[in-house]
Amino acid sequence: MTTLSVKNAGLSYGSRPALTDVSLDIPSGSLVAILGPSGCGKTSLLMAVAGLLSLETGVITAGDRELSRGTTRVPPEQRGIGWVPQQASLFPHLSVRDNIGFGLRKGRRRNERVEELAALIGLTGFLDRSPGQLSGGQAQRVALARALAPSPDVLLLDEPFGALDSVLRHTLARDVVEILREEDITAVLVTHDREEALDLADRVAVMDSGRIVQVGTPVEVYESPATPWVASFVGDTVELAGTWRHGALQCQQCGAADFCGPTENRPGCTGHVVCSLGDVAATAQGYVPEDGAAVRVVVRPEWLVPASSGISATVRGVSYAGHDALVEFDVAGQKDRVRARIAAPFLPSIGQDFRLALRHPALVFPVSQDATLA
Amino acid sequence: MTSLAPVKKPPTWLVGLSLVTVVIVTIPLVYVVLRVSEIPWAEILVVLSRPRVGEITLNTVGLSAAVSFTALIGGVAIAGLVTRVRFRGAKALLLVSALPLAVPSYLASYGWLVITPGINGFVPSWLLLSAVTVPYVTLPVAAALRGTSAEGEAVARTLGFGPLRAFWLVTWPQVRPAAIAGALLVFLYTLSDYGLVAMLRYETLTWGIQQSFAASFDRSQAAVLALLLVVIALVVVAGERSARGQVVPTTATLSTAESLRPLPRTLSLAVILVAPLAGVVIPLMGLGIRLVGAETVREIDVSRLALATGVTVGMAVLAALIALLLAVPVAALAARYSGKWVAGLETLAYLPHAIPGIVIGLSLVFFSLAVLPPLYQTTAVLVFAYAVLFMPKALGTARASINAVSPTLVNVARTLGAKPFSAWARVTLPLALPGLGIGALLVAIATMKELPATLLLRPTGVNTLATELWSRTSAGEFGGAAPYAALLVVVAAIPAMILSGVRSSAKEEL
Repeated sequence: MTTLSVKNAGLSYGSRPALTDVSLDIPSGSLVAILGPSGCGKTSLLMAVAGLLSLETGVITAGDRELSRGTTRVPPEQRGIGWVPQQASLFPHLSVRDNIGFGLRKGRRRNERVEELAALIGLTGFLDRSPGQLSGGQAQRVALARALAPSPDVLLLDEPFGALDSVLRHTLARDVVEILREEDITAVLVTHDREEALDLADRVAVMDSGRIVQVGTPVEVYESPATPWVASFVGDTVELAGTWRHGALQCQQCGAADFCGPTENRPGCTGHVVCSLGDVAATAQGYVPEDGAAVRVVVRPEWLVPASSGISATVRGVSYAGHDALVEFDVAGQKDRVRARIAAPFLPSIGQDFRLALRHPALVFPVSQDATLA
Repeated sequence: MTSLAPVKKPPTWLVGLSLVTVVIVTIPLVYVVLRVSEIPWAEILVVLSRPRVGEITLNTVGLSAAVSFTALIGGVAIAGLVTRVRFRGAKALLLVSALPLAVPSYLASYGWLVITPGINGFVPSWLLLSAVTVPYVTLPVAAALRGTSAEGEAVARTLGFGPLRAFWLVTWPQVRPAAIAGALLVFLYTLSDYGLVAMLRYETLTWGIQQSFAASFDRSQAAVLALLLVVIALVVVAGERSARGQVVPTTATLSTAESLRPLPRTLSLAVILVAPLAGVVIPLMGLGIRLVGAETVREIDVSRLALATGVTVGMAVLAALIALLLAVPVAALAARYSGKWVAGLETLAYLPHAIPGIVIGLSLVFFSLAVLPPLYQTTAVLVFAYAVLFMPKALGTARASINAVSPTLVNVARTLGAKPFSAWARVTLPLALPGLGIGALLVAIATMKELPATLLLRPTGVNTLATELWSRTSAGEFGGAAPYAALLVVVAAIPAMILSGVRSSAKEEL
């Protein structure tokens, strides 16, 4: 029950920066996911928070207690921060009971706490087994119980479900989040799996090359990404070139009028953009483009939907995924190809004519944004 | 996923403890150098220019080179046959080919002398030492061959090369470092061997050192010869480092074992078995014949035998524990940290590996006489010599077993509230313990077999199984030596065989 706060953290391995000016607040009782590709520094950030790694610059505090300042740090054993590493990493020479009880003082209360946690993770009958006799999912639950045993203020989870198969990881992830909420634990989850982050976390921090690029709720990060890179990292995108126009589009002119309610303008329609999809409602991300400026237009495939009033297009390819399909279209009179996610089972066939409309304001970014970021 | 914290600095206390170890194990070498530097140059030149000295130096280098070359060719051939020819019980065959490692060289020569008392000189020394040491090449080369995919060789065959050319072109470059490293061990073994060459009356530097020392008026000559021996050893080690080359590890995806026709298969089997036969079976037969002889049974002095066994085992246990204490800090440092300092300390800690036992013995004689006279000719100095001499045997396995404990486990323990030392004691130590135990056992086995340093350092009246065997054999009492030889096989060879079954990788350390 402590707010964890990282301020201006910096760290490098030799000449290669691992963390650059990282600041992040994790409010008490919340679950924050740190999402990023391999090598983006997310594990380093977690290790620094756990006290397993010294920072070079910056401050880490838990509540009003200072844990790290520059290169000095409170050692990991005095921080009260629990850690569940990537592989469960149970102590192979100890039973499940002794693994869970590792961080507790010997005595009757230790046994009670171990039993209580075993019940919480649903492994009451497994206490006297050795770690080698557990399945991957069971081992990961024990690792969670072991970290929870000393009642840490904050729990760090480093890709805890990464090694599990997809069905198991989904159910286990849900169980774990439920346990965290029940125990009212402040938690940080590191993952490179966007669905895991969007599904489980209260807030998502997206990291790239040692920097935090965006922090927000899952909806904010997905629907209003700060950069084209974030947009493509947290979901599929369709990218087009376009020209920005000031002023929200009148509804009768907008191809998405059918999907909008009685409101005059949808929230987020700050202007409109002329591109292969026609003249569509748009929202500029974090800046105000000049009227008539060339911009980079990003939409998500599921925002493109069949509509009789939409632009006409021809089906070029279908990539089938069971519940839906990514359908590739040639837009009539345009060079760009676009992809739309069409729900099964009403899938078009190749060569068929189709009408598409955009049911969400297009995202607009400066043309050269990624060049400055990379 | 991320390789973490390559910039981590080792804690000062660990570096300090490792430094203590390194200082302790380099004392003998440093002291030999100091002792020689006290001798006037003119006198050193006189010693070195004696025709006798030149002769035994040539003998030593010639024998070491001949044995290394034979072991290199034989070991590569045997390893190739064991891994690439289909035999029934191929695993047992590899184990059998490793057996000579368990027999001390002087025990092999004793066994042969019992059967053919007339043998002496270069040829028997060369052949017998080759038989005893060939596993030093066979085992690492067999391991390298198992790690080398036969795919490349198969591709070469499809490109028109015969089996031997394909092996030479494709596989040999990959196993060469292992083979050369093995041959180096053989060279060092031969260089420092005393018992076998002395029994077979072939005069080498170790023999010369022992003689000069025994003629106590000329200890300067012993010191000069010891330094000469060290210089030869270090030159060879340095040469091997530059000749070994680097190997790019590949993963074995295809393993082929060829079926041979009966005649070639029998010939191959003969090649594999000749070393165990000459180095183990025949000597043990000789020993067995003497052991059951009526006069031997009458002569057995049970209390003397029991005392020698007790002394041998007791000192071996003590030496193993001290060696382990010396090895663990360096092992922990080398397993967890990297950098120039760490690599330097580790290399220095391995130094006794290259220094013949007789040199360490001699140096500690000088050292105890000059620095701690009350300790001269005490068991303490002898045990210390064993610990220094064989510490590198514990270092390798200790490092590997500590390295095998995932740092993540230690980190987890820290986040659960364990202080660094407590995390070490509750997680690293219990997990590394089996490997540390094997390391200690390797030291104990080597200690029980040790002869030249023991002869120099043992207190008057204190006898180990090896010295009892030695003194009886030199006096021509083959029968009286038999019970000691048999017990030596039991206390040294049997644990070694059990160990090689327990962990095949440990065999290379014997």
